[in-house]
Amino acid sequence: MITVRFRRRMPEKGARAVLAGAEAGPGFGIAGFMGKAGEALAQHDGAGRRFILAGLGDTATARSVREAAGLATSHALAEDRLAIDARALPAALAAEAAVGAALRAWRFSRAPEPKGDDEAPMRLARVDIVVADKRQAGAVWDMLRPGVEGALFARELVTEPGNVLTPHRFAARLRELEAHGLAVEVMGRRALREAGFGAMLGVAQGSAEPPAVVVLRWKGKFEAPPVAFVGKGITFDTGGISIKPAAGMWDMRADMAGAAACAGAMLALALRRSPCPAVAVLGLAENAIGAEAQRPSDVVRAVDGTTIEVIDTDAEGRLVLADCLAWTAKRFKPRAMIDLATLTGSIVTALGHHRAGLFATDAALAAQAAAAGEAVDEPLWPMPLDEGYEEAIRSDIADLRNCSPERMQPDACHAAAFLKHFAGDVKWAHLDIAGVEAREEDEALGPRGATGFGARLLDRLVSLRFETPDD
Amino acid sequence: MPEITFAKPSVPKAGALAVLVPEDGMDAALAGLDAATEGAVSRGAAAASFKGRKGQSCVILAPAGTGLSRVVLVGLGKAADVTRHGVEEAGGTAAAALANDAAAALDARGACVPPIGTHGAVDAALGATLRSYRFDKYRTKEKAEDKPKLAKLVVMTDDAAAAKAAWPAAKAVADGVFLARDLVSEPPNVLTPAEMADRCVALKSLGLQVEVFGPKEMKKLGFGALLGVAMGSANEPRMVVMQWNGGSSGGGRTAKARKGAKTATKPLAFIGKGVTFDTGGISIKPAGGMEDMKWDMAGAGTVIGLMAALAGRKAKVDAIGLVGLVENMPSGTAQRPGDVVTTASGQTVEVLNTDAEGRLVLADVMWYCKQRFDPAFMIDLATLTGAIIVALGHEHAGLFANDDALAQTLIASGKATGETVWRMPLGDAYDKLLKSDIADMKNIGGRPGGSITAAQFIQRFVDGCPWAHLDIAGTAWHGKDKPTIPKGATAFGVRLLDTLVAEHHEPAKG
Repeated sequence: MITVRFRRRMPEKGARAVLAGAEAGPGFGIAGFMGKAGEALAQHDGAGRRFILAGLGDTATARSVREAAGLATSHALAEDRLAIDARALPAALAAEAAVGAALRAWRFSRAPEPKGDDEAPMRLARVDIVVADKRQAGAVWDMLRPGVEGALFARELVTEPGNVLTPHRFAARLRELEAHGLAVEVMGRRALREAGFGAMLGVAQGSAEPPAVVVLRWKGKFEAPPVAFVGKGITFDTGGISIKPAAGMWDMRADMAGAAACAGAMLALALRRSPCPAVAVLGLAENAIGAEAQRPSDVVRAVDGTTIEVIDTDAEGRLVLADCLAWTAKRFKPRAMIDLATLTGSIVTALGHHRAGLFATDAALAAQAAAAGEAVDEPLWPMPLDEGYEEAIRSDIADLRNCSPERMQPDACHAAAFLKHFAGDVKWAHLDIAGVEAREEDEALGPRGATGFGARLLDRLVSLRFETPDD
Repeated sequence: MPEITFAKPSVPKAGALAVLVPEDGMDAALAGLDAATEGAVSRGAAAASFKGRKGQSCVILAPAGTGLSRVVLVGLGKAADVTRHGVEEAGGTAAAALANDAAAALDARGACVPPIGTHGAVDAALGATLRSYRFDKYRTKEKAEDKPKLAKLVVMTDDAAAAKAAWPAAKAVADGVFLARDLVSEPPNVLTPAEMADRCVALKSLGLQVEVFGPKEMKKLGFGALLGVAMGSANEPRMVVMQWNGGSSGGGRTAKARKGAKTATKPLAFIGKGVTFDTGGISIKPAGGMEDMKWDMAGAGTVIGLMAALAGRKAKVDAIGLVGLVENMPSGTAQRPGDVVTTASGQTVEVLNTDAEGRLVLADVMWYCKQRFDPAFMIDLATLTGAIIVALGHEHAGLFANDDALAQTLIASGKATGETVWRMPLGDAYDKLLKSDIADMKNIGGRPGGSITAAQFIQRFVDGCPWAHLDIAGTAWHGKDKPTIPKGATAFGVRLLDTLVAEHHEPAKG
């Protein structure tokens, strides 16, 4: 992450930006700048310094400040440093400018340096937020920064290609989180077999890369059952024998974005020393094809004894989650369990790239998750989880089947109905984040590529709802 | 439709008898029958593991001690949990089991529990009626013994007089549902836009005012989008405006005529997509399953059925129904992908996919409706997108709305009638996907969020009016029997909207 500092005066050197609302906008009298949200204008001033105006809209909100700061940052990536003038904003909002800048200035740590003349190298290493009350803004930032760190950690993981981030190398990266005070436990193939993770092992059996379940634990400060995050971590998804078409298959390196977001959230909780006990259970596997690959029509037995007929080997995320959810519910008896998964193409058809699907067995948890998502620009939309969808996942020869064999199906709803069987009576929410795990173009809060969607949301959900022991 | 009558309870001497049985009131519900049969009915129920649970039913053939051909027991679930729609479903299940008896009785006392009361008998009768729908006009060789026989159904309740008085209104709604199902079931070579308009004109007998607009009139109104869709077909398009002025204030008049009239309230407006057959046009659909596209007029069919229901039961409301009727065909004169059309609103549309035609039809009709009537709200129904099936399947219709209160009443009315709707999002991020390089908008926004961008498109033509859009592509037709809906055309929306009008826009009954 770039260095962010709060200071009282505008520095003499480097690029500078002003965040201005619609009222102040015309006052600048520059090239028709109106101060509208999403508007940004960059030029060089008389002294040759880059000068950027970014609009806040009619009223400055946390969101409009983040976006304006992100846009301003996008115009200063080739500069050494940028100072954002947020003196007109209250301290809490000024701190959000740091969030926007840090999210936008992220870049994959191993990205190549641009070569041609037409593309400026990314040099921005430091952003100063100029504020009236440095201490107050800094205190707010201390609470926001961990979520940003978590999101950027998730982006790093999601961006890594499938040959680099295999399940076990993913687990090794998670081991490093011990440095932040998280307890890390890794279950390999043998442990999973002993524990009875038959559904997950079926997914992994076609790959030369052995699977792993990683358990991250944060102790917190009070005695209570933990909040549990469960993440789908398919490090590469070929679809298996029900193989995907070649076009677009490269995107499937991101099929572990749910696990990455959960890990990012755990990092955030640790960094800000959250009082809330939490656990993340991440199911890491590769869905490959091979002589030992699972076949459509195979029947597997999940950790809770449920038998599942595998209709489509490309509906593998729900098989991994089935074991992880049932195991988490039984072992930790969590206060609430939230899983994140790039689960279905159906949710992309339903909601596009602007909202993730939210399925929940508990109305309060659903409302809190949705509120957390709105607060951090990771919006959700409630989707149905009623009995009508159960029929499609009834099997002729097993307890369940993993999807409906027919075409034009509401597969996101069927998948959620399937997962519900494994959540037991724990308060549970499922976030289908397919479609929001990556951006197709540069946007205000991040460059093209991995978004880290979910990490900030889970961090915020915990801070909004779970930092007192009483239910 | 079987003839429904109401009577005081008794054990009939002959024919078939169905009994609605609450889970926690089984003994009382079967007492009369058990007395007549020396307990044979209760023993039969026990042998069939019938417990009166919701959705459960069992048949006891020719119980000794009576002249009955069969006794059908239908479970209602726990008395405290019985809903009016649950009673309808029980009535429907009973009707299906009674279909082979010419005369039958239905003991509905079990459904007449508080707070439903006598309505229980009416709801059971309505459910039985809705289930007995059949579209068999093109079966010329069917043997009599293969046809359902149920012609008379006596519904038994303690207050038969009250049920009898309430029945005509319910029957009018059933008539509206049947009309909509007929229209949706009709093949597309029979039900052309002109034929569909004629069937609207026939509704004048119910007291509806009906106006029909042909291509010439629509050209004058500037309906460039609707006419573009119709261009490829030999069958001319139509728009039909139906008005029901049942309110006290004459609000059904146009916005212009209302001016100055102090008491006039704004009418409610319902708009339906009526593509009588949708080949997709030049962006032609795959052959497999194309026959389903005869029901691409289900939105219009529902609006027509609804208007018939409101008029049939003399609803105390001012309502207008508008339907845009076209056929979408590929031909030498068909619209091309890439064409730009000018809508009645003046906004231009780049038609990138001729199979996204429903929204083009609605664009002109909705704009016209708003300008002419300035209604209290507009609700449109359309079999609009395949994406809504991938999102919600056949369980719920997609609901999009710019008005939270209107959305809430639709959700509530949906739950009450079993025609459930699920709210889906709208927003600027989706609206942006309609940006065109050469016109005000394009008619598709891509596969992701496909139903949402379709709704955003329509929203550009509502001109600030409170509005809701129901995407009924997944609910207009059903592949399997449901308790009150035989497989086929569902008429989804008629009951939902009739209930919405009755519960929220008519004066409460005395």
